[in-house]
Amino acid sequence: MEQRTITGAQSTAKDDRMEPRPFALLAELTYRCPLHCPYCSNPLQLAKYRNELDTSTWQRVLTEASALGVVQVHFSGGEPLVRPDVVELVATARAVDLYSNLSTGATTADPQILANLREAGLDALQISLLDAREAENDFFAGAPSFKQKQSAVRAARQLGFPITLNVVLHRQNLSRLQEIIDLAVTWQVDRLELAHVQYTGWAFQNRSALLPSRAQVESAEQIVANARERTGDHLQILHVLPDYFQEYPKTCLNGWGRTFLTVAPDGVVLPCQTAREIPQLCFPNVQDGSLETIWFHDPVFQRFRGTDWMPEPCRSCDRREIDYGGCRCQAFLLAGDPAVTDPVCRLSPHHHLVEHELQQAERASPDFAYRVMSGGEGLGQQ
Amino acid sequence: MKEFQMSLQPVLARGVRYRWDEFRQQHQLLFPEGLLVLNTTGAAIVRLCHNRSIEQIRNKLAQSFSDADLGPDIHEFLERLVERGLIQWCADPEPRLQD
Ligand code: SF4
Ligand code: SF4
Repeated sequence: MEQRTITGAQSTAKDDRMEPRPFALLAELTYRCPLHCPYCSNPLQLAKYRNELDTSTWQRVLTEASALGVVQVHFSGGEPLVRPDVVELVATARAVDLYSNLSTGATTADPQILANLREAGLDALQISLLDAREAENDFFAGAPSFKQKQSAVRAARQLGFPITLNVVLHRQNLSRLQEIIDLAVTWQVDRLELAHVQYTGWAFQNRSALLPSRAQVESAEQIVANARERTGDHLQILHVLPDYFQEYPKTCLNGWGRTFLTVAPDGVVLPCQTAREIPQLCFPNVQDGSLETIWFHDPVFQRFRGTDWMPEPCRSCDRREIDYGGCRCQAFLLAGDPAVTDPVCRLSPHHHLVEHELQQAERASPDFAYRVMSGGEGLGQQ
Repeated sequence: MKEFQMSLQPVLARGVRYRWDEFRQQHQLLFPEGLLVLNTTGAAIVRLCHNRSIEQIRNKLAQSFSDADLGPDIHEFLERLVERGLIQWCADPEPRLQD
């Protein structure tokens, strides 16, 4: 799936013994995907994780998630619509009182499957778009997909779905930001999520091709501000700024193991969707225990929960319960150690690594590598 | 001080759902990107947002809450939800706000 954030979730529960409880579950049904986005948040070694949970295990996961306190499930992937049981799983989510979202690249989103999802109780649909122009969209996706996205939006609108259009912003499409916003207006979607690339997964590999210049980021802020004036309440525009350009890191998923969990296609349970790339950590699987046991007792969920694990400068910093020291994946990717302050933070002793990248980004950009199922005949490449 | 139209009808926007969380003993408004925790008055307002004008909502609320005039508060609360795309005005022939 493309990268996204879950906002608005706040923990206010009172029971200290069983705290914190998660609000949101990201259910990555499969890593298979007909598209090849260069910033995909799926693992680099996709082929290593071909095993997928079966329907009844997913149903158990959804039921356990609800019992654990989860209120929202986000079905994603890969492309969740390649799973033949996706409608059934949406119905289960509804039956256990979960609010459900589904993110699709839309190449397989024909009107019939959308209607079935609607009937099964899917609450909201997110459709990804890579660029405002067909040629550029299809180029970045590594496959023709613009037309399919356009028809999926139309069909979803007719079905009465609330639609969020998700566009990941980067150096090579930022010049068309205005066109992207105009397209969202023309397509009459309810929300436009403009998220700058987060540099983990494939995006980290492609960092030098994707990282924008500071001037691009500033101009994007201006364009969004103007657009908000014009569209008013008709189109909600969410703009997630690139953290490389900020002084302090983003509050990664409200903190490790606080409000969010991911179940990967093979059943691995992760505090964050990209965390499995941290080789120092060993993650549990839903096949070995209940979600509740994993959430409260698995060492990996305890590892960076709260503030006790923190080194300096976080330990004595005023912001430690605001950003929880930033992203663990980013700390690993940039500094080689998941247990240090996120190098994006200007107080981090590794901050020069980010500055170096930003300086590079002021120069020319090389090509990027498409996301592929390494090891050959991945379903993603058909 | 803003004048507002007590005849406006607020409705939950598409994809927005009210939910009582038994676990956390809290009122929640769920929407595609997350959730909002509501206090008791907020929840009472939101639950009345269906085929009712602000005025009717106020009258209904007056039965359960003693505060003298909730009208301006209700409107302010709803406007904030409108800004976040969680509430929409329906049957809105007139300009809504005049300064
Ligand atoms: S390659 Fe597929 S899973 Fe990855 S970001 Fe693109 S659409 Fe999403
Ligand atoms: S030092 Fe740590 S807690 Fe303080 S702002 Fe930086 S990352 Fe956040």
